[in-house]
Amino acid sequence: MAFNREQARNFCIIAHIDHGKSTLADRLLEVTGTLTGKDMQAQVLDSMDLERERGITIKSHPVRMDYRDPDGKQWVLNLIDTPGHVDFHYEVSRSLAACEGALLVVDAVQGVQAQTINNLYLALEHDLAIIPVINKIDLPAARVDYVIDQFIDLIGCAPEEIVKVSAKTGEGIVDLLKAVVDRVPPPTGDPDAPAQALIFDSMFDAYVGAVAYVRVFTGTIAKGQKIRVFSNERQFDVGDLGYFQLARISQKGLTAGEVGYIATGAKDVRHVRVGDTITLAETPCLAPWPGYAEAKPMVFSGLYPVENDQYDELLEALQKLQLNDASLTWEKETSAALGFGFRCGFLGLLHLEIVQERLEREYGLNLIATLPNVEYEVLLRDGTVQLCENPALLPDPKLIAEIREPIVRASVITPKEFVGPVIQISLDRRGVQTKMEYLDIERVNIEFDLPLNELVVDYYDKLKSVTKGYASLDYEYLRHRADDLVRLDLKINGDDVDALTCIVHKDNAYSWGLKLCQKLKELIPRQMFTVAIQAAVGSRVLARTTVQPFRKNVTAKCYGGDISRKRKLLEKQKEGKKRMKQVGAVEIPQEAFLAVLKVER
Amino acid sequence: MRAFGMYVHVPFCGSICAYCHFARTAEHDASRRAAFVEGARREFALRRELCPSLGGAGRPLATAYLGGGTPSQLEPALMERLLAGTVGLCARTDDFELTAEANPETFTAPLARVWRDAGINRVSLGVQSLDAAVLRQLGRACDPPTARRALALACAMFGRVSADWIIGPGVTAATLLDELDEAVACGVGHVSLYILEVHAGTALATRVEGGLLKLPPDEQVAATYLAAAERLASLGLPQYEVANFARPGAESRHNRGYWQRRPWLGLGPGAHGAWGRCRRANHDGLDAWLADLGAGRLPEASVDRLSTASRRLERVVLALRTREGVPLEWMPAGALDLARGQAEGLWRVADGRLRLDGPGFLRIDTIEEALARRL
Repeated sequence: MAFNREQARNFCIIAHIDHGKSTLADRLLEVTGTLTGKDMQAQVLDSMDLERERGITIKSHPVRMDYRDPDGKQWVLNLIDTPGHVDFHYEVSRSLAACEGALLVVDAVQGVQAQTINNLYLALEHDLAIIPVINKIDLPAARVDYVIDQFIDLIGCAPEEIVKVSAKTGEGIVDLLKAVVDRVPPPTGDPDAPAQALIFDSMFDAYVGAVAYVRVFTGTIAKGQKIRVFSNERQFDVGDLGYFQLARISQKGLTAGEVGYIATGAKDVRHVRVGDTITLAETPCLAPWPGYAEAKPMVFSGLYPVENDQYDELLEALQKLQLNDASLTWEKETSAALGFGFRCGFLGLLHLEIVQERLEREYGLNLIATLPNVEYEVLLRDGTVQLCENPALLPDPKLIAEIREPIVRASVITPKEFVGPVIQISLDRRGVQTKMEYLDIERVNIEFDLPLNELVVDYYDKLKSVTKGYASLDYEYLRHRADDLVRLDLKINGDDVDALTCIVHKDNAYSWGLKLCQKLKELIPRQMFTVAIQAAVGSRVLARTTVQPFRKNVTAKCYGGDISRKRKLLEKQKEGKKRMKQVGAVEIPQEAFLAVLKVER
Repeated sequence: MRAFGMYVHVPFCGSICAYCHFARTAEHDASRRAAFVEGARREFALRRELCPSLGGAGRPLATAYLGGGTPSQLEPALMERLLAGTVGLCARTDDFELTAEANPETFTAPLARVWRDAGINRVSLGVQSLDAAVLRQLGRACDPPTARRALALACAMFGRVSADWIIGPGVTAATLLDELDEAVACGVGHVSLYILEVHAGTALATRVEGGLLKLPPDEQVAATYLAAAERLASLGLPQYEVANFARPGAESRHNRGYWQRRPWLGLGPGAHGAWGRCRRANHDGLDAWLADLGAGRLPEASVDRLSTASRRLERVVLALRTREGVPLEWMPAGALDLARGQAEGLWRVADGRLRLDGPGFLRIDTIEEALARRL
């Protein structure tokens, strides 16, 4: 079907994690006939195993649905499935920019959550038409009236504007499609003006190179033309372009208002970054689509192979992952304790976990990840500022005038009975409460300014545990702020274990050091010899614990010459030991490097 | 001359000890015992069919060991028949060592005479303790007077007597040292001293898990072990393996064969053997073992062909158990902090070998792990 702007609708689905975004997308594909029953599998658009397993969306997935409505009218509906997690805030904002409307989906049982609100604000910033949707109305515990009230409070809509659906059973989906057609405005933009296309995601294809997912705002781009990427001025020949259904459907051109893909032939997705603008080389547009920013890693962690001989494999795997993930950064790093590895930058903790899990699962690597930390700005006495994302590389304290750490605004939505504990754990992590408002009679939104470092350590887990899983969290970067921070070193048998070094607030150094030593004592198994664990700031030892050697670890009898049992045990233990890292003469299990995460405050 | 050893597992017991996890049964009668003896004879014949040189002049038997279970549960006539159909069919070395294990309560003068006449020249008595409470705790069917009588009888009738002791709940260094003094004074020239191990599925494990029995702390056990080793050495029985102490020359040559990786034939249910590059294990259950033999098959549950790496690992961990220690060139580089271990009394390094001392023997599993990791 030819593209007719008046009959096109570009929209996305925004929702808190687990509110049924991907299932709803599945159902839309089914009802519009884009998918037939035999293509159907849950979370069609989530193509990575990890996405399906964790029930999350990591990449944006655009899909075009050709829809004949009950009156027989034909529509082109472009659905852009966006990542649902706070780590991918920037990606979400670019996907929203590609649309005219958004389905704001709320789970009928859980009601409005932190990401619902943040995504809503994001959608409003982009002037999107918002269609409030209550999902999971089929569940026995659904509280439809309650969520209707929440929506009315939140966006001031009329009750009849709210569409009630069950993505699981398909109830209400036709009504929802009608709402999309009626309420999402058609795209505008001059097809004859210079081309301006926003990249809202990209992927790497081994055959055609980097593929940009775009929304064309003005002009027309055709196959064979030379395009230019705005920020880096690189030029590429359009090898192929078109739109997505379940696969790429090749077209002659993409014109203003359309959503589709452009195969650029670029060797690296970093040349076609999310948020950048594509135009034609010969008749470029004057300005890029606003809002381009390079996704900045917020969380850093050292990734090291447990077995040193897996270093090359790790390097290769990171290179491969980066082909498809422009926001993953890494540089080579050497640790005295862990050997050769990489300091990697991630958008957030989930991004870190996903990358680590993919490296282990898809590439069969056995890794140690050091404690996640953040990027500090270090003002030296000579007036220069250094960035430091590895605590072990903090300059000599004598040279430091001040250390500034990233502060985020964290917003927590919690049932009111947990307000006390939420505030307590936030204060314990040096949070400052800046706002508290009741969203309704049950739910409270509390905002804190919180050091990101405190947040990445264990805030989310703790939040979930003190609120029995009910609280939701979102955060965004505010600024870097100076504080009284010191470097806490951990020594094992007198040797610094750089991988365990962390930066903490001076007032917390002693209690941290002690707790860390105690936790390491629990995590490091007894060994042949005494293991001394010390925490120190500079040359001052703050705390010490000792792992006593085995007094007795002897299997005396190999009865009737049965040595096989022993040998098999040793061979099995040897396999198990591959999860241990040898630091000096001490064997340290992987989890010990994350000991800080397990410390109770 | 390539000699070999033979181990025969006699699976019968009068009662089951609380800690035992070996192949054994208390459910037996004369016909079961006879069936076992016929089975063992058949197994030997079958193995000899497959390897005709076995027990021939070019491949004589150097040691044999009847373990259990309780070999002294066998009627004298059955014992004679068992030996005649196995050991008796082999050419034997001049210094042939034939050991049989016995429980004190079944070790009587008539039995001892039959054994001696049948060629048994070394007896290993499962004494375990001379303390009534400790014996009860272990589920032993023996009391101290019986144990003392058996020790005296064995020492009177046999030139070479070994006795087993256990360090378990209720054992203190003071009582243990007295008991060892008494045994050595009685004529015992070899002592096997085991630290009680709790194995899953035993009555002991149930009691420990249920909180009915508290095991002594490791520190106490370690101190008792070291004190016993010191005492035995001063009595003229220096340690020559993790759990074994002997007058010079009185060491168990059969067990040494295990530690030196010499070949031996295993007969009977649950018996292990090592031959060629393989480690073999028979079915544990008497019936499964008999069934295979009845069908003319070797009653083997598993045959592991050892890789070079496995052989290297075996040779190191076995040598580590012994007084002779491990040649340094067998050890993977950097696996042990030799200087620190020597300074802390775990071992001594001399003449190109590493030899464990008492504290090292107590941590041998940890040391083995460290070596295995680098091998």
